[in-house]
Amino acid sequence: MTGSDRLGSRPDTSTTRLISVRVRSQTKILSSISKPILLSCLLPFRAPCLSFARSLLLQLQSLHSMPSSKCSTLALGISMAALLQIAGISLFLFGFFPVKPTLPGFSGSESYQMPSCDSDSDAERADLSSEQRKFLYEELSGITPVYDRLILMVIDGLPAEFILGKGRKPPAKTMAEAMPYTQYLLANELAVGFHAKAAPPTVTMPRLKAMMSGAIGGFLDVAFNFNTQAFLDDNLLDQLYRIGWRMVMLGDNTWIKLFPNLFSRQDGVGSFFVKDTVEVDFNVSRHLDVELAAEDWNLLILHYLGLDHVGHIGGRQSILMAPKLKEMDDIIKEIHMQSIIPQKNSSSQTLLVVVSDHGMTEAGNHGGSSYEETDSLALFVGNGIRTASNGKSVNNEAFQVDIAPTLALLFGVPIPKNNIGVTLTNVFQSLTEEQRLKALELNSWQLLRLLRANLPRLCCDYSGSSTSNLNSGTNLRADSTGINFCIQYAKAVAAHDYWRLQNNSTLRSDYFHIASESYELFLRNASEWLSHRATDKPIHILLVAVVFMFFSCLLFVCLTCWLFCNTYNNLWSSEDIFIFIAIILHAISFGSSSFVEEEQYTWHFLTTTLYLIFLFTQIRTFLKGLNRNLSEVMSPIILVLISGRILRGWHQGGINWAHLPDISKLLLQLSPSTITFLHITSILSLTVLYSNSISILKSQFNLVLWLSYLIGACLVLLQSIKNNIANTILVDHGTTWIPQAVYVIGGISVISSLFLLPWISSVRRKKDIFLGIRECVYDIGSAYVAFWCLLQLLLQQPVNAIPVLLIYMQHRASVSLFADSVSVHKDWVKVAALYFLGLAGHFGLGNTNSLATIDVAGAFIGISSYSTVLSGVLMFCITYASPILSHLSMVMCISTMVDRRVISCKEIDWRTLLESTVAIPSLVPLVVNSVALTSFTVVLLLMRNHLFVWSVFSPKYLYLCASTVSVYLGVLLIAGTVFYTCYVFTLDKRKHQT
Amino acid sequence: MGKAQIGATSALALHSLCAAGLATGYWLSHSLYSSSLITDPARTLRFLTVCEAPIVIFLFSWLRRDHDRCSFIKAVGRGLIGLPIGALINAFGAIVLGAPVGLKYWPATIYWSMLMSLLTFVPAACVFGASKLDWQHVLSYSKPSNVVDYMLLVPANGAILGAWLGAWPMPLDWERPWQEWPICVSYGAIAGHLIGMLLSPVLIFLHQRHIHTKTE
Repeated sequence: MTGSDRLGSRPDTSTTRLISVRVRSQTKILSSISKPILLSCLLPFRAPCLSFARSLLLQLQSLHSMPSSKCSTLALGISMAALLQIAGISLFLFGFFPVKPTLPGFSGSESYQMPSCDSDSDAERADLSSEQRKFLYEELSGITPVYDRLILMVIDGLPAEFILGKGRKPPAKTMAEAMPYTQYLLANELAVGFHAKAAPPTVTMPRLKAMMSGAIGGFLDVAFNFNTQAFLDDNLLDQLYRIGWRMVMLGDNTWIKLFPNLFSRQDGVGSFFVKDTVEVDFNVSRHLDVELAAEDWNLLILHYLGLDHVGHIGGRQSILMAPKLKEMDDIIKEIHMQSIIPQKNSSSQTLLVVVSDHGMTEAGNHGGSSYEETDSLALFVGNGIRTASNGKSVNNEAFQVDIAPTLALLFGVPIPKNNIGVTLTNVFQSLTEEQRLKALELNSWQLLRLLRANLPRLCCDYSGSSTSNLNSGTNLRADSTGINFCIQYAKAVAAHDYWRLQNNSTLRSDYFHIASESYELFLRNASEWLSHRATDKPIHILLVAVVFMFFSCLLFVCLTCWLFCNTYNNLWSSEDIFIFIAIILHAISFGSSSFVEEEQYTWHFLTTTLYLIFLFTQIRTFLKGLNRNLSEVMSPIILVLISGRILRGWHQGGINWAHLPDISKLLLQLSPSTITFLHITSILSLTVLYSNSISILKSQFNLVLWLSYLIGACLVLLQSIKNNIANTILVDHGTTWIPQAVYVIGGISVISSLFLLPWISSVRRKKDIFLGIRECVYDIGSAYVAFWCLLQLLLQQPVNAIPVLLIYMQHRASVSLFADSVSVHKDWVKVAALYFLGLAGHFGLGNTNSLATIDVAGAFIGISSYSTVLSGVLMFCITYASPILSHLSMVMCISTMVDRRVISCKEIDWRTLLESTVAIPSLVPLVVNSVALTSFTVVLLLMRNHLFVWSVFSPKYLYLCASTVSVYLGVLLIAGTVFYTCYVFTLDKRKHQT
Repeated sequence: MGKAQIGATSALALHSLCAAGLATGYWLSHSLYSSSLITDPARTLRFLTVCEAPIVIFLFSWLRRDHDRCSFIKAVGRGLIGLPIGALINAFGAIVLGAPVGLKYWPATIYWSMLMSLLTFVPAACVFGASKLDWQHVLSYSKPSNVVDYMLLVPANGAILGAWLGAWPMPLDWERPWQEWPICVSYGAIAGHLIGMLLSPVLIFLHQRHIHTKTE
């Protein structure tokens, strides 16, 4: 895949899953709710962090029995680094994904009135029939459409240079000879051609959107649509549809994805088989004769992909290029001969517009922003088209976005609301002067409206009709940019008014030129300013953000090194070295888009290798005679390894090979009762495993906890069975009480176990605080883990039930391994191993780095009324199930880190205790995450013009930001739990002493 | 232990015999069936295994540790038993690390793991047998103290590291035929093994000089 319009074709392959079906149905809700959720998730986590720092310091002060210098340094360092990182992320997001203000809705009859300074009344009469609307527009604009039919021929990837030459040079001889008819049309002024500069990314889908709406979209617009591709903004096709046009579409199926319900006839071809250069175009041309003879359409879209494919195979100089150009030329000739020439004197006229969506480099690739890639074509062929023959050389430099307003005005529909293009006046030569000025005026009004969305204080209320009003009458309420625009606009309006008042024909033509030139000046300036607003990334802000993140990463690493220097004195083991290498390899792998797409392989490979190294270490320890029971430590490792392999096979994941068979696809083909059976099996196994992990009879509280867990499990079971029945009969949304009950029971159990367990066990273990803390932290951790998994079994898709169970088993096995062989693995290695497991499991649950796999349907389970925040939280819980689980199991794991030497019965070395229990589990995930985040930010900055920046790198960045949030949450939870437990034990100890 | 006391040059000679075995296997598969690793990995790996197995087993049986108690034939027998055991261990590692388990991959996986077993496990099995002490010695952290240890450890580690690194290009979207399992992993393993075989005489030379200076 060199670059075959993957932005266009990719989501199609990645959304083949069932999930995507769910996603589509929820898209509209999502695009409305997701923006606030993500923003609220990403930006304001300053507050929890501040409170984290504060609580850390307060807690540290409260534990006054310890020499707190080192601990407070650590806490201060961590919170500083975290704040720096948050600042960096916020700045980067702000700079990289500019949210440009857009106008909602569709342009209507109000676009034929001058924008007033007050808010426009959008009172569009919706009850108009398409025919009435058409006449209304014609009456209001005063421009009689010259043409009533449009043939839009898109030649994918054709550089304008092939037809128009570069600069003043004529096109290359081979190219010109390959397209004799087109050259004949241009030479005889039957056609007018433009270099229509395209905006990056020069990939098909965004370019088609730009051509049809005249706007340049941002990434977040795409991201928040969760890869549904239907184009919802105001655009030319919808406008034409509203005046009753019938449309036929032949060619690239991107059009059908963008405009699903607009075409009365369509034959889409895929752009997936890049090697095919013949069939793909034949499939379009085979309908041409019939369609050209048919009378029932107003708009015929032909999208030829062959030329782009030729480019991808052989570059610009490919031997297939000339025959392909000849083929295109023959089609232009056929259309011109059959549709345009016969209508020479008839009242109905057809316009042929030949455009290309983007150009190509010498090697035939595209996506970037070089001249070769952005040099696309716009060629207008019609009976009324005459190039300006006033002696001046024709300015044929334009922008791709200019096509939309030009066509809108030519065909008598309002210009799309967010258009930033400028009418190409060269195309309007057949209109009267009045109509041409009117067209420019309409374009100016539309741009003024859009400018006001960007500059809220802008107001050019020019109502006077004499020059004396030019300065005084113009109501200047704007900053300097706005004032400039207003002055330019006022000039044009004044000249326009003069032209209206003049009778003298020479003066009239002078004023006409002044008016049209000043209109064009205003339009061009406004258009450029708006397009910069949409595409410019303030590089200094991004650099500052990267520097922030780099320093925070450095601070994290330094703190870790400092901690390690104090904690570990012995040499580096192979595990330490491997984790180090793994972190670096993962960071490096971000440089390749494939590794970002297929990150599941990276994490599975690294995690499995780490556990294989564990296995090796254990065997070596056994051989050295330090460990008696080999099978006891080997079985958890092998369990982790095999579960990991099953998880890898459960969801193929990724993007390039997402279509390959995997276990989940196999299960979905089977009857739904199989999945329900597996769901029930995993609920039962989880219950058994949890019951096994806590000693129920140890205390009454454990019994209560276990009972509440049992009730929760029964409810989840009930829900699963109910869903199975509902699936076969009809979808029933009424059963929200079961999930709600599970939320309540789970919440109460977890919170009460956190708050009560320390007190209970501190009373019970008065004698041995060491055992008390260990046991208490372990019990709290296992309650966290068990209830979290129960929640996941409720929220995740049923097909993910077994993976949830497998991930749970992996974590349990790891914790028991670390508990059995306390001294074999270092503490930070244990934490890193759990964190790695969490990340591997994240992909094992079917997540990818594309936004398409986010489970939207699950986010509405148990929510009776529509709530943005709640469903956002649920969506986060589902997506980050596994990383958060790894943090929760770290709480369990902490119990294995409490060193007996630290706590003798008489005196407790709080400093060392906290260092080993809180510092390492907090720092290691923070370091791993911050290295990944920082390196990826740098990659994103370097790749900002890469072909896949919007399809691969940017979604991954959003995922990384969200995973940073999950790390912060996990760290806060770990720190809070351990601090609270230790605090309770100190209180109790003091009471005991007094 | 008389025969085990060999120098760097003889180690190099023995290693080059092993390398020649690999080369012969590749050449044979290429000339007889004109198959390479890319066109027919299973068959090529089979040829490599068949050619390499006798060389490795005979060579390392000759280098067996316990010369007095163990005959040459017995060492060969240990190597023959070690071959499937090592293959099982390697196959387990590969599958756990993500090697595909589909039926069509089985022949390639089996021959690949046989070859990996020859490169890693079989030599040690021939030399050590079931002696726990030797295994413990060679797997523990302390530096190899013996020429044969170097000859066993360095190429074996090279093969494992090479195979591990060789798997990295697999997820790339270059659409090259060699990205399939187990082609690039085999290339990596063989390359790592060859590098290890070149490296081990050097290390042996340094080791012996170190001992020499020490004794003086």
